[in-house]
Amino acid sequence: MTAETIIQSLASGLLMGLLYGLIAVGLALIFGLMDVVNFAHGEFLMIAMYATFFLFAFFAIDPLLAAPLVAAALFVFGAAVYLLVVRFAVRAKANAGMVQIFSTFGLAIVMRGLAQYFFTPDYRSITHSWLGGKTISVAGIFLPVPQLFGALTAIAAFVALYFFINRTDFGRALEATREDAGAVALVGIDKNRVFALGWGLGAALVGLAGAIMAIFFYVYPDVGASFALIAYVTVALGGFGSVFGAFAGGIIVGLVEATTALILPPSLKSVGIYAVYLLVVFIRPRGLFGSL
Amino acid sequence: MSISRRNVLLGATASAALLPVAARAQTSEVVIGVIYPLSGASAQIGVDAQKAFETAAEIVNKNYDFDLPLARGEGLPGLGGAKVRLVFADHQADPQKGRAEAERLITQEKVCAIIGTYQSAVAVTVSQVCERYGIPFMSADNSSPSLHRRGLKFYFRASPHDEMYSKAMFDFFDAMKKKGTKIETLSLFHEDTIFGTDSGNAQTKLAAERGYKIVSDVKYRANSPSLSAEVQQLKAANADVLMPSSYTTDGILLVKTMGELGYKPPAIVAQDAGFSEKALYDAVGDKLEGVISRGTFSLDLAAKRPMVAKINDMFKEKSGKDLNDYSSRQFMALILMAEAINRAKSTDGEKIRDALAATDIPGEQTIMPWKRVKYDEMGQNNDADPVLLQYVGGKFVTIFPPQAAVAEAIWPMK
Amino acid sequence: MDTAFAQRRRRDLIVAGIFAVIAALVPLFVKDVYVQNIMVLTLMYAALSQSWNILSGYCGQISLGHALYFGLGAYTTALLFTKFGVLPWFGMLGGGLISAAIAMALGYPCFRLRGHYFVIATIVIAETALLLFQNWDWAGAALGIDIPVRGDSWLKFQFVRSKLPYFYFALALACVAWLVTWWLEDSKWGYWWRAVKDNPDAAESLGVVVFNSKMGAAAVSAFLTAIGGGFYAQFVSYIDPESVMGFQFSLLMALPAVLGGIGTLWGPVLGAVILIPLTELTRSFIGGSGRGVDLIVYGTLIVLISLARPEGLVGLFSPRRKEAAR
Repeated sequence: MTAETIIQSLASGLLMGLLYGLIAVGLALIFGLMDVVNFAHGEFLMIAMYATFFLFAFFAIDPLLAAPLVAAALFVFGAAVYLLVVRFAVRAKANAGMVQIFSTFGLAIVMRGLAQYFFTPDYRSITHSWLGGKTISVAGIFLPVPQLFGALTAIAAFVALYFFINRTDFGRALEATREDAGAVALVGIDKNRVFALGWGLGAALVGLAGAIMAIFFYVYPDVGASFALIAYVTVALGGFGSVFGAFAGGIIVGLVEATTALILPPSLKSVGIYAVYLLVVFIRPRGLFGSL
Repeated sequence: MSISRRNVLLGATASAALLPVAARAQTSEVVIGVIYPLSGASAQIGVDAQKAFETAAEIVNKNYDFDLPLARGEGLPGLGGAKVRLVFADHQADPQKGRAEAERLITQEKVCAIIGTYQSAVAVTVSQVCERYGIPFMSADNSSPSLHRRGLKFYFRASPHDEMYSKAMFDFFDAMKKKGTKIETLSLFHEDTIFGTDSGNAQTKLAAERGYKIVSDVKYRANSPSLSAEVQQLKAANADVLMPSSYTTDGILLVKTMGELGYKPPAIVAQDAGFSEKALYDAVGDKLEGVISRGTFSLDLAAKRPMVAKINDMFKEKSGKDLNDYSSRQFMALILMAEAINRAKSTDGEKIRDALAATDIPGEQTIMPWKRVKYDEMGQNNDADPVLLQYVGGKFVTIFPPQAAVAEAIWPMK
Repeated sequence: MDTAFAQRRRRDLIVAGIFAVIAALVPLFVKDVYVQNIMVLTLMYAALSQSWNILSGYCGQISLGHALYFGLGAYTTALLFTKFGVLPWFGMLGGGLISAAIAMALGYPCFRLRGHYFVIATIVIAETALLLFQNWDWAGAALGIDIPVRGDSWLKFQFVRSKLPYFYFALALACVAWLVTWWLEDSKWGYWWRAVKDNPDAAESLGVVVFNSKMGAAAVSAFLTAIGGGFYAQFVSYIDPESVMGFQFSLLMALPAVLGGIGTLWGPVLGAVILIPLTELTRSFIGGSGRGVDLIVYGTLIVLISLARPEGLVGLFSPRRKEAAR
């Protein structure tokens, strides 16, 4: 095992971690800040990837250009999902958590079924894009360009989200609504409006992630499943309620995954992530930076 | 407690239960069950499989001038022209569900034979059910070597298994070495389900027997979101040959990641699966010029056997793709099963089973480059010679064994 | 003193008895193998979901990693039988005890986690176990374990064609799980749990007592789930890590309880009776097309039921029922 191998592994791990963070940032908003479970997070990613693919296949729009379109489409979709489905789940007086889990779980299955119905289960890939397939080499360390772009986008997204939550009125309204919907109603804030917009924003962030992922990852109805669990662990590791936590969580997950693969057979690399998560929460029951 | 639901089910199945068993003997149709994944991650395989089976059924049921069993004439002459009717079922890659579907097909749909299943784990339980009910099971495309070694009377497999495939790969290596090519070190890259595990084991064993050094044995989790760490290890090992055993999803990610990390092995010799799927080549074909895969079927056989091209066209019309390793095996499985039923002149399980055991069909009467179809006492056809195909200029070209080859292998890959 | 509560409990017991007797008679009339298979699965999931309900419904510790215990039960039974010739009856017991022990060992650090952190912890623990088994050669790794069936035998608990013995075992297991739940409702533990659920901060002051009861709930829940796993191994006679330790299984154990009424006595049973036949029938009769329609139907129904009746379908039968378990 040479130094080069180790450095390359860590570099790839860091990039991957930031990508996990990008996928998780939407979840950090919805799950982390609004405290609403979304078991269909992976499927939102899948929809975003399909949207990007079809914009490419039918209109030859490069994923980078498609990204804002996809994010906008996902914004609408996310808000719609909240208003049509999740709103009722949140309202449930009994077992709100379980209802959220299972209603969104059912939604995930429906989305996968619809994707299979309309798009067939076949695997799709975007073959030609501005960034696709390109890789740069820095001192012998290879950094794939799409992932690099994704990593930078992740950083930008987290910074933007941080400011949004902590410095804008809407961000504060979001947190307040989560704390006590009744109280905020007295101040004239409509919980449903706030949450719908929050879901829209969270979904838009996933849309962004999906558009970038589609540059280098294959698309098929079940593609979300592989990433969903990592997204949940990332947010939980960082701590619910903390945007920075989700960001840090992503980086840690990526690095731990890469390091574990160096020590154990790669088929066990996820065990490292899970072990770190458990270790962290056993010591700090609210994750690294969580406030909830 | 919804007892009413039980009543509904009672009523629905009463009619099925009342059908006399004797009705099987005198039918104007032969019902064959086909169990495949029709939803979930491998759904596309199941969907393509349906088209392959439908193509075969059409050839049996209608008159086609092919030198293929039952192609000429309509239906099964041994049963008075009875036509083949297929019943499809979805096992969702779950052994328990596959078993439930097999039971349903046997007891409700009254199938006289079952073909399946793509995933070897599901074949385990489906073949068990068939054994218990005395219904023949044809393993169309399961390649796990342990399947025919379980002492089952009703289990048959016309196509090769992983040990045979891997042996072909190593025979090829030996032949190339004799010609002076440097092949000393190997990297194994296999996923962690049955397919990858069997393949890895077979390859490890053969490498030891034939004197090749395995410098890297990377076992990875199927459907991983990232394969950077794994490819990193392969790159560091820098073997003469990379030997992947991967499904389509992992195959695509592997090739892309190799490109991202700047890893280009002198040769890639794949254990089929993802490397015979159109979707993979659509995605990353431009990076795979010269990749070699083991296979059962090669389209260039059409040059010597025109019916292969015609049958391929029929399949392509239904599915939009050429016949590949899986669809060709699925196609042949139905033809061979129907042939045995025809020879048995009966839809009785035991008789069909005996007919299968007595099968002896020369390879020229199939669409495969096989010597023969003849099952040993465990139900395995040992004369199903695998081939090695190389992806050149967008097509698969047979390069091994010499009697089937149409071109010399290009080594190293470009 | 015959309170309304005591009356209800007596009535529950009688109703359960009647249902059990009716259920026991059904296979004598319904001979179709496929339908019997659905019934066995329904009873098995009723038992599993009821066991899950003890920890997650009554005790309030939502676990989405119960496939861990199911898988441990299945593997213990299968390994002891195929490697050491130990009869499945003992194997199931062994699996149950091992799972109970592990549940308590895990509970110790995990129970101080709240809400979502706990749920995710259960998920990753189960995933870790799956990965370990997938890579453990002695236990078959990905090839799984094929339990040879040589003929009908009660001793080896294997039957070639008949589903009846499996049916009655599953029925018995479901009854046991139900009875345990029924007994717990009127026990000290049950009272602690209701108190804690109404007022989570009370858990702090009740301290050690509540903690011990949680450990107890975890152990009982895990024990019963593992027996279900051992049963499954004998029923299907082939197991591999994905089929007995997968996350989908954890969800499927929880789903009937959620749909039927989490934290209620009848919820899991009702949920299983509706959900399992639905799952099987949509797959068998709509799934064959490969278009994913069965998934759409199945998923839509889950969404509708979980939203329309958040307290579970049990609420349809008797609104008063809810208060006892809360």
